[in-house]
Amino acid sequence: MGRSNTLLHGALDALILRTLTGEPRHGYAIARWLESETDQALRIEEGSLYPALYRLEERGWVEAEWGVSELGRSAKFYRLTPEGRAQLVTRTREWEVFASAVSRILLGPAGPAGAVG
Amino acid sequence: MNAFGRGKDRLRRILGADVETEVESELGFHLLMRIRDLEAAGLSPAAAREQAARQFGDFEAIQRECRTIARRRNRTMRRREWMAELRQDARFGFRQLRRNPGFALLTVLMLALGIGASTAIFSIVNGVLLRALPFPEADRLVAVYQVDAEGAEGNFSHPNFVDVKERTRSFAALAEHASGSAPVVVGGTAVRVPVAWISSEFFSALGVGPVLGRTLLPEEFATGAPVAMVSDAFWRQHLGADRDLAARTVRVGDQPLTVVGVLPPGMNLPGDAGLWRPQGPLADATRTGHNWQVVGRLRAGVPPEAASRELRGIAQALKREHGDDTMIAGAAVVPLHEVVVGGVRPMLLVLVGASGLLLLITCANVVNLLLARTAARRRELAVRRALGAGRARLVRQFVGESLALALAGGVLGAAIAAAGTRALLALEPGRLPRAGEVRVDGAALLFALGVAVVAAAGIGIVVALRASGGAPWAALVEGSRGHSAGAASHRVRAVLAAGQVALTLVLLVGAGLLARSFLRLMAVDPGYRTEGAVAMEILVPWAQGDEDRARTLRFHQALHERLGAIPGVRALGSVNLLPLQNAGGGASGTFAKIDGTETVRGMEDVGRLVREPGRAGDAVYRVASGGYFPAMGIPLVRGRLFDARDTPETVHAAVISQSLAERAWPGQDPVGRQVQYGGMDGDVRPFVIVGVVGDVRERSLDAEPQPTFYANVQQRPGGVSGPHTILLYGGDPGAVAAAARGILREMDPEIPARLSTLEEVFSASLSDRRFSLLLLGAFAAVALVLAVTGIYAIISYLVVQRTREIGIRLALGAPAGTVRGMVLRSGVLLAAAGVAVGLASALLATRLLAGLLYGIGTRDPVTFVAVPLLLLAVAALASDVPARRTTRVDPMIVMRAE
Repeated sequence: MGRSNTLLHGALDALILRTLTGEPRHGYAIARWLESETDQALRIEEGSLYPALYRLEERGWVEAEWGVSELGRSAKFYRLTPEGRAQLVTRTREWEVFASAVSRILLGPAGPAGAVG
Repeated sequence: MNAFGRGKDRLRRILGADVETEVESELGFHLLMRIRDLEAAGLSPAAAREQAARQFGDFEAIQRECRTIARRRNRTMRRREWMAELRQDARFGFRQLRRNPGFALLTVLMLALGIGASTAIFSIVNGVLLRALPFPEADRLVAVYQVDAEGAEGNFSHPNFVDVKERTRSFAALAEHASGSAPVVVGGTAVRVPVAWISSEFFSALGVGPVLGRTLLPEEFATGAPVAMVSDAFWRQHLGADRDLAARTVRVGDQPLTVVGVLPPGMNLPGDAGLWRPQGPLADATRTGHNWQVVGRLRAGVPPEAASRELRGIAQALKREHGDDTMIAGAAVVPLHEVVVGGVRPMLLVLVGASGLLLLITCANVVNLLLARTAARRRELAVRRALGAGRARLVRQFVGESLALALAGGVLGAAIAAAGTRALLALEPGRLPRAGEVRVDGAALLFALGVAVVAAAGIGIVVALRASGGAPWAALVEGSRGHSAGAASHRVRAVLAAGQVALTLVLLVGAGLLARSFLRLMAVDPGYRTEGAVAMEILVPWAQGDEDRARTLRFHQALHERLGAIPGVRALGSVNLLPLQNAGGGASGTFAKIDGTETVRGMEDVGRLVREPGRAGDAVYRVASGGYFPAMGIPLVRGRLFDARDTPETVHAAVISQSLAERAWPGQDPVGRQVQYGGMDGDVRPFVIVGVVGDVRERSLDAEPQPTFYANVQQRPGGVSGPHTILLYGGDPGAVAAAARGILREMDPEIPARLSTLEEVFSASLSDRRFSLLLLGAFAAVALVLAVTGIYAIISYLVVQRTREIGIRLALGAPAGTVRGMVLRSGVLLAAAGVAVGLASALLATRLLAGLLYGIGTRDPVTFVAVPLLLLAVAALASDVPARRTTRVDPMIVMRAE
């Protein structure tokens, strides 16, 4: 559970960064966008979004300000900083490398001789 | 997302307020939105709430986590913001300094000077006074003195030392040592090397071992074997740093010496020794021969006072056991550190004080400069404050600027200190103890940096508070004219300028007192003629048995004959010790007046005679040839000098100084009287006084001339078995010295000689004082320049500020002279205020110089009048320059400009 948490952690950061490449969004909007883009396949515990957002803010990859939401209530809007943009590029590339490596093994031809199945 | 909102948000973040509200609002918003969407999808409000909560996760935990991260985030952002501002300030500061490079350069130079001087002095004080001696657990090292019935501390006699060593429980190691010079022949050259004769525990007491070879063995001490340890300097200089110690032969006279070990660099106790030799059996040492100094390492946990008490008891026991055979009445234990450096402490502390004053003056000057510049930037500051810059930010900016200046000054100052320390040590008279251990090291650099930072912080804060104080709009409204903040700033600057004058006065008075002392000292008549004579100090290597004495005498006579033939030489003589060469005064002792009826067969009779009431006298003892007195220009007052009538077979003639004649035979003619002085060289034949000569200051110029007793070298050749000096008066010193050296080398190339002029010897005796005077004078001079620039700057500023007023006065018909006088007066009054404060401080401060002055008191009226007058005069001159400028002010231009 721990390993996959870390994986998810890092991935979550990248996902959030990706979400914010467009206009600034508040936390709920980010959650909804992730749901809709992945056709509900990605169901993260919604609350874990917020610690991630605060950490990103601490690292200076996003910055936030309070604004007025669609409902007329004030909400905290996030947007990418230049460092954030650079981090997104890096992370995306890392993920590509990682994912293709894993895919090659898991989805490729038979493993070493004597391996199960 | 507007700028205003962002500003507020950032402010809130910076102030760290309300993380709770932030997190609560944000998470609450999310839940609200989720519930709304779920309701829109068809769930009931209750079900929607439940599902939203479930989907969210552990609300409390997440809220806590968010709060923690948020607080951390706030701290990080605050720090980042602060650093960004600092960088901005630094860039801004640099731009400002670049625009005004002259100012920046001047400030950095001044700071560097002040910091450099104080760091150099600190390095010296650290190396000499503060650091422990370079031995393991050096605080346990002590010197031990024998104390006589009058309480005078002196050397030990060997038998007393042996007894004390046997009986004491306080010491882990105790050793005795004696210093001398030896003429050593090594590698074909004759050199004169300071030698230390030591007892077996000497090296273990100090905790020193050889870095090459081995240490001395117990049997070598028992027999006094011809072996030696050498210093690192000796090994490098004379043994070519050869690791094979047996490769080179070392000879003292006819006796070859085996070098068995080399000591670490820096080990040169006692007294700059180059060779250490085992003392040998010393079978015939008497209990009254006080020839040995004692050093010891206290046992762990034994304080010096306890050891002192114990030794006193032992000393008293010895006195009881041996009665009149020994002079010991007590003992004194003194930490070795104190013995080595105690003498220079007063002067070094005075220098520390002086450099501290100089530093203060420098800082005051820098503050003044900065304030002047700040005044010019007042409008800019006012605008920035109106636009919302916090006072703290402005202060930080000024601190940043002054920090940059101070650090630059500190770095340059450290370089100056390094060069300065080297230069000072090169100039110093050679008698500064532990001079070799002085380094500009980490401690000194830290000190310099510390001073720089403190100076920067102080200066920056003072300046910034001054500059940013007061309502900002006042500066804007009133333009460039003086207003409340400006007036206050002016007052601060005036106080600083006056303060500088005060401190400078103290330094100048100190330097002035030392200078007058020095001049007084130079005017003292030493009793002999200092110029025109060459002094050749030689050391014959032969041992001191009787046949060798005869040989010495023959050599001595032959040498004199040949030296006398050098063209130009008008008088020639020799003596065992020149005046003013040895601060301790050299040999001196007690004699007894006799009338020829007493039987004196040996030293016990001498001792008895000396103790009879009314017979004894004390004098400095010298052995000289007849030619010594004319060569030195010492006048004959009565009777005759030594001449051909005095041979080893005739009665032993003596010449005494006038003060001795007056003291021992007041109102009588001492010629013809007899004296027993056997204690000096063991020869108990009586002396007859044949003449009286003028007084000579043997010990030092600042003491009264000591009563002196001269024996004839022909009759008491013991005086020339050790080092002695031959004087050649007349002719060109360079040529005479060269010829003398040539003759000596021809006669015996193995005798080392040191040639100098008598003037150099005399001058060397004043070198300590000259050195201190030079330093203090340098400080005072720099301080004067700084103080004067301070006055000049503030008066100039005053003129600029009051240009309008001056213009009006001139326009209204005031004669130019009045205006000029007004400005001049303000300058002089300012200086006078400083002088008054300075005088009061100087009256207190000069008490510290009490031990260093000669012939004048610490409140010498001449100095205390001359220096203030000098300062006022200089201040007047400095004020006159801007004052004169006022006469050239065109009232029309002034009126129009405003």
